[in-house]
Amino acid sequence: MTIRQTVQRTLRTFASYVLPPALAVTAALLFWELWVRWRDISLIVVPPPSAVWERFWDDPTFFWREGGYTLYEATLGLLLGSAIAVALAVLMAHSRLAERTLFPLAIVIKVTPLVAVAPVLVIMLGFGTTPKVIVAALLSFFPTLVNAITGFRDVNPGALEFLRSLRASSWQVFWKLRLPSALPYLFAAFKVTYPLALIGAVVAEWFTGDRGLGVVIFVANSNLDTPTLFAAIGVLALTGIAINALLSLAERRLLFWHESFRTVP
Amino acid sequence: MANAQQHVSLRGLSHVFSDGRQPLAALSGISLEVPWGQFTSVIGPSGCGKSTLLRIVGGLLRPSQGQVIIDGQPPRAAQRAREIGFVFQDPALLPWRSVLTNVRLPLEIDSLARSRPLPRPEELLGLVGLADFRDYYPHQLSGGMQQRVAIARALAFNPSLLLMDEPFGALDEITRSAMRYELLRIWEARPGARGRKTVLFVTHSIAEAITLSDRVVVLSARPGAVRADIDIELTRPRSQELERSRPFLDYADHLRSLLKEAPQ
Repeated sequence: MTIRQTVQRTLRTFASYVLPPALAVTAALLFWELWVRWRDISLIVVPPPSAVWERFWDDPTFFWREGGYTLYEATLGLLLGSAIAVALAVLMAHSRLAERTLFPLAIVIKVTPLVAVAPVLVIMLGFGTTPKVIVAALLSFFPTLVNAITGFRDVNPGALEFLRSLRASSWQVFWKLRLPSALPYLFAAFKVTYPLALIGAVVAEWFTGDRGLGVVIFVANSNLDTPTLFAAIGVLALTGIAINALLSLAERRLLFWHESFRTVP
Repeated sequence: MANAQQHVSLRGLSHVFSDGRQPLAALSGISLEVPWGQFTSVIGPSGCGKSTLLRIVGGLLRPSQGQVIIDGQPPRAAQRAREIGFVFQDPALLPWRSVLTNVRLPLEIDSLARSRPLPRPEELLGLVGLADFRDYYPHQLSGGMQQRVAIARALAFNPSLLLMDEPFGALDEITRSAMRYELLRIWEARPGARGRKTVLFVTHSIAEAITLSDRVVVLSARPGAVRADIDIELTRPRSQELERSRPFLDYADHLRSLLKEAPQ
């Protein structure tokens, strides 16, 4: 490929993937700024984007550092919750009895309002990283479990029959067929659970925090420091967008064979 | 000791599916002897249990009654000895694997089988005419090409028995008739240890059955029983012109009347 072709392709990717959402965000911010100025809304109620940006630019390392803590806790929680969910899903996908036995417990975790439980977790687990990781894990557990069970079962019956005709072991069927078949479901789950894990970490930080964006938001809220509050939310949002972009990129690489990449032009 | 000339023996096979609300009789009292190297087609009205028969022969299903002997052993043992190759109507290739790694899949499942002399997957792809497509993915291939990959995959262990369940049933008419001659070419080019492979071929196409087979077994409607057993005495190698010849048309008329009598 010539340099010119590479440049053209990069520009085209930029124009089709980056430009449209960037325009949408810019339009929303512009609208927000003008609205606040026109209505002369107090800084304490809703700060204009310019004030939020000013606060952020004042000390960007502060926000990135606190965001980094939150991201770290959320990621550990996601890994923990997903690992347990996938392990249980393997069991449940192979046995209806295991599903009937364990699924009600999973639903208990699902319906428990974690915001209400967080203070109890602090009492149980103390301060530090652990309670945040646990809350993030609890929030990311259920969607991964449900998607993984469906994914492990949603295999091509013909391919399953062929593997059976080869006398493949359950273990081989799992690695060669069930796990790859479940990947689209797992990616869909991670796109839901990573943001949930972030929320879980932030909420846990409110109650037990000594660091992280949850603490920043909590303190700023107490001080009616809305620019800091919104800057923290903005960093959180950017983190979420970056995670989503990375997941989409990995998805394109790994799931090129899947229908979902051919049904939309 | 069973007759050594027979490769596959079906003895009084009956099968009733009892997992539904009402028991469903699929096969009733089928006995067949298939000699080594014979190409046998099984034809019958839809729902007559042709596929069930093939699944029983291949050890994927236990019959309610009767038994199957393949070269002196039960189907599961033959399967474990890697003497059976399957081709289904749905090629069911793994979409995340390239053509070549799909053909290699059986060797990954049974790494022990590699100790015996086996054809290389690349060689099998050449045999089915897809040597240039080894790095393609299934979604980039046509239905006929996918089924060729499935045939190459079924030949991975160089089995002596090939079980084919309407392998060309989902293809368009033109591809379908071309695939018949492709299959014959592959069958004649790739003998097993004891000469040509024995093939049991399930189809609902009369032309397909005659073109391919040494023998056509006609099943009656459900529950399937052997209605007729006809030897096809046409010379090999067979070619497209044969389909317009007198004897071919006579066989076709005969089979058509047999199938018509069998109520659908």
